[in-house]
Amino acid sequence: MKQLICLEINGREYDVPVSPRDVLSDVLRKKVGLTGTKKGCGMGDCGACTVLVEGKPVLSCITLAIACNGKKVTTVEGLTLPDGQLNPLQAAFVNHGAIQCGFCTPGMLMSASGLLNRTPKPTLYDIKHEMSGNICRCTGFKRIIEAIEAASETMTEGVK
Amino acid sequence: MFMNEFEYLAPKTPGEAYELVSRLGSKAKILAGGTDLVILMKDKILSPEYLIDITNIEEFAGISYEPGKGMVIGATTKNADVQYSEIVKEKYYALAYAAGEIGSSQVRHMGTIGGNSCNASPSGETPTPLVALGAKVVVSSAAGDREMPLEDFITGVRRIDLKEGEILTKFILPEPAPKSASRYAYMGARDANEIDCVNMAVNIELEADNQTVKNVRLVMGSVFVRPLVSAAVPALLNGQKFSDGLVEKAAEAAQGEAKPITDIRASEEYRYTIVGVLARRLLKEAFAAAQEV
Repeated sequence: MKQLICLEINGREYDVPVSPRDVLSDVLRKKVGLTGTKKGCGMGDCGACTVLVEGKPVLSCITLAIACNGKKVTTVEGLTLPDGQLNPLQAAFVNHGAIQCGFCTPGMLMSASGLLNRTPKPTLYDIKHEMSGNICRCTGFKRIIEAIEAASETMTEGVK
Repeated sequence: MFMNEFEYLAPKTPGEAYELVSRLGSKAKILAGGTDLVILMKDKILSPEYLIDITNIEEFAGISYEPGKGMVIGATTKNADVQYSEIVKEKYYALAYAAGEIGSSQVRHMGTIGGNSCNASPSGETPTPLVALGAKVVVSSAAGDREMPLEDFITGVRRIDLKEGEILTKFILPEPAPKSASRYAYMGARDANEIDCVNMAVNIELEADNQTVKNVRLVMGSVFVRPLVSAAVPALLNGQKFSDGLVEKAAEAAQGEAKPITDIRASEEYRYTIVGVLARRLLKEAFAAAQEV
């Protein structure tokens, strides 16, 4: 039986009818139409489906949408600045060549956002440790790490 | 990879949750972080008719510490909150470290400390340090609370002492002894996002001379059906001056107690070897840390 839930996605409220067994990644992609979030393994291993729920990185392919009723969800579409420009993290990924096929990128960006929200100036260890749940099969991880380091610098400029 | 149809229930109070769990019995599963349960449902290993989500119940979450008395950690506290908690790091270092080595960042932000014990996987990360730190669990129902040491709550592989109508609601950790320190270590296929082939925690308390072991607790994970508390290591070390020679003997004694199996992650023989390696490393690290307290 479908139940109506309310999700605040990227600052906008959506009323969505869901079955209890619908996972958040499917609801975002198929019902809300936000296809930026990718579904990789579907079993919580690869990190491609990472979104922020209440600011924390979660795996949307193993999160029940109904359990997010009334909560704030941020997807990769929500990172873009209000004027449509890429945010510093997205720009750093582009500028550092941290993208190849792009399938892991939304999840990478959301995990990195979660990390930078918590730890604005992460160490190399912090980045590797907190990003280890996101797997990329083409670029390797070096450029992704460099992009996060660069974004951290841009975003904390002038901050002690 | 679709789950069966089920009914989702999200009680707001402990009373509502006890009533639902008691009434629905084996037709229902308790949902906390879902990082194990949802995967078991997607794999069709479990197909419950009801899921009772207990994460909206405020009383079941949170970390509180009272100097001299110890700590209470709610069962639905996220592993990431245990990992990042400054007071957990300061007082129960092995637990904070173990919580930070579970799965990935996402899994730690979803999964709960209660779930990690209730899942009762022999390779679970947090049960090992919790047992080493002397943690008790509180299981609650409409009839009241039961308290028991965590090593008695976990009875076997995916088996726990939870009777119908009961929910694991909190962990109680005693105040650490004055000159004591705890450490945790694990071995797996790689550092991140793995399942441990052996993990271990040591909690050591020293006498005022900073050399004599007053009390030591060594707990092994993934080498028995549940966390294995060493009896031989305290028998060798308690009351003795700490030395490399004794550490060697203690590591051999721990190896003698471990009952590992060969499986997809490691052979029995390799696990025996790693028990020795981790015991030597952790006893030395915990001893050095306790000297600094």
